[in-house]
Amino acid sequence: MKMKKVIILLVIMLSGISYAQQDSTTVYKKRVLEKTEVDFLFNYYAQDGDNAAVSGGIGTEELTDIVPNFIVRMPLNDDDVLTVDFGVSAYSSASTSNVDPFDGNQPADPFQASTGASESDLWLNLTGIYSHSSDDRNSIWSGKLSVSSEYDYFSVGLGGSYTKLFNEKNTELSINANVYIDTWNAIYPRELRPFDNGLGLSDPLFTNNTITGNANYNPDFKEFDSEGRNSYSLSLGFSQIINKNIQGALLFDVVQQDGLLSTPFQRVYFSDIVDSFIDNFQLADDVERLPDSRFKIAFGGRLNFYLNEVFVLRTYYRYYFDDWGVQSHTASIELPIKITNKFTLYPTYRYYDQTAADYFAPYETHLSTDEFYTSDYDLSEYNANQFGFGVSYTDIFSKFHIWKLGLKRIDLKYNNYKRNTGLSANNIALGFSFVLD
Amino acid sequence: MKKIIIVVFIMSGLTSCVAVKEYEKINLNDPDMVLSQSKIDKSETTFQSYREAASGANGGKTGGGCGCN
Repeated sequence: MKMKKVIILLVIMLSGISYAQQDSTTVYKKRVLEKTEVDFLFNYYAQDGDNAAVSGGIGTEELTDIVPNFIVRMPLNDDDVLTVDFGVSAYSSASTSNVDPFDGNQPADPFQASTGASESDLWLNLTGIYSHSSDDRNSIWSGKLSVSSEYDYFSVGLGGSYTKLFNEKNTELSINANVYIDTWNAIYPRELRPFDNGLGLSDPLFTNNTITGNANYNPDFKEFDSEGRNSYSLSLGFSQIINKNIQGALLFDVVQQDGLLSTPFQRVYFSDIVDSFIDNFQLADDVERLPDSRFKIAFGGRLNFYLNEVFVLRTYYRYYFDDWGVQSHTASIELPIKITNKFTLYPTYRYYDQTAADYFAPYETHLSTDEFYTSDYDLSEYNANQFGFGVSYTDIFSKFHIWKLGLKRIDLKYNNYKRNTGLSANNIALGFSFVLD
Repeated sequence: MKKIIIVVFIMSGLTSCVAVKEYEKINLNDPDMVLSQSKIDKSETTFQSYREAASGANGGKTGGGCGCN
């Protein structure tokens, strides 16, 4: 219901802006966007590993996700463009199913995703971006509104950007600010819930199952007081044409996050507390506890080279650090190869590394006296290599039609991602780009 | 950090080069020369920002979400 109201508000606001921005200028100017463009994107992602955060750093990280995405860019007049992006993510994962590992048909086990009701979920996102270009096309304003929702999380985002081109459009400066107001509907591990509501070991989970190991299971668990999370980001961009064949960009991002930054269903096991089990599943000592603020800084750079009519070289580098102790380097390279005037191949390679957050420790190594703790391997020290290969088909005349949509481009891309901690993932993306006649 | 400052200075210095005219930008206007990510990489970037501690400086977050699965 809340999602529906926000969608209606988004549509009303965006349509209102479009009327307000009618330009009375009569001089000839090229339209910013000639025709409506429609993109259908389809993504399949699958991962597996043995360090699930939901089971305290051990257990299956199996996850599959199917993401259809629909993006429409429509010219409202010569100067204004409205972009609407709607995406759905349908996923099933061990991290959702093992929030309650005891509701399935088989014995609870961290290395088996539970087959119970919490196995899968949907994420929905709707984003609208309205942009206005000045008559000389050297200034661009844009406003953005987004909403997203999933079973335990709701987010509203608001943003704006300003871009200025000068030096005969050889130089571009941009500033972009975004605010996300997010709210958790916190879901806690099944075995911890009775210790906040006072039922304790008289909860049916414990009366219907046998606790092995320490039978006097009694975690010191309290739910989080606040379920809000706010993120504020500021991005600066500088891009420059260097010569007829080279252009580059520098990017700088600052992000401040406040509120509930812990994930409420991620378990932690302490080394100084005796272990308790139901079936093969170790009962949580607590959920992860992380500071309620985080400050992130990222510097990035892109440099693209038009080598000749066949080869283009695209490079990217980013350095990141935050006040949780994470430092990271990312580098990627892509070599588009035009094998004909319609087909291009895209071999890619990406390297990523990061140091561990100050609050990370593996399974069963935190102490119950620690203030902050997590066993989420996404915050551990690791490096990752990603190899990819893509192919695209382009028809600049858009001869093939479906209804009034002329096919402009088809993209197909595959990536394989491997961490040195064992997590591996495969990603397949398929995209169709159309122009509306 | 030092390296980044050097890169910033080098790129700032390049702004003083002779500007490339519109009619000379045919190679720069090649779709593969854009200084942003391809649309087809949208979901891939989302997964990377979920699985990795680092994010940003690559075009920004397009939609909200906890990234917790």
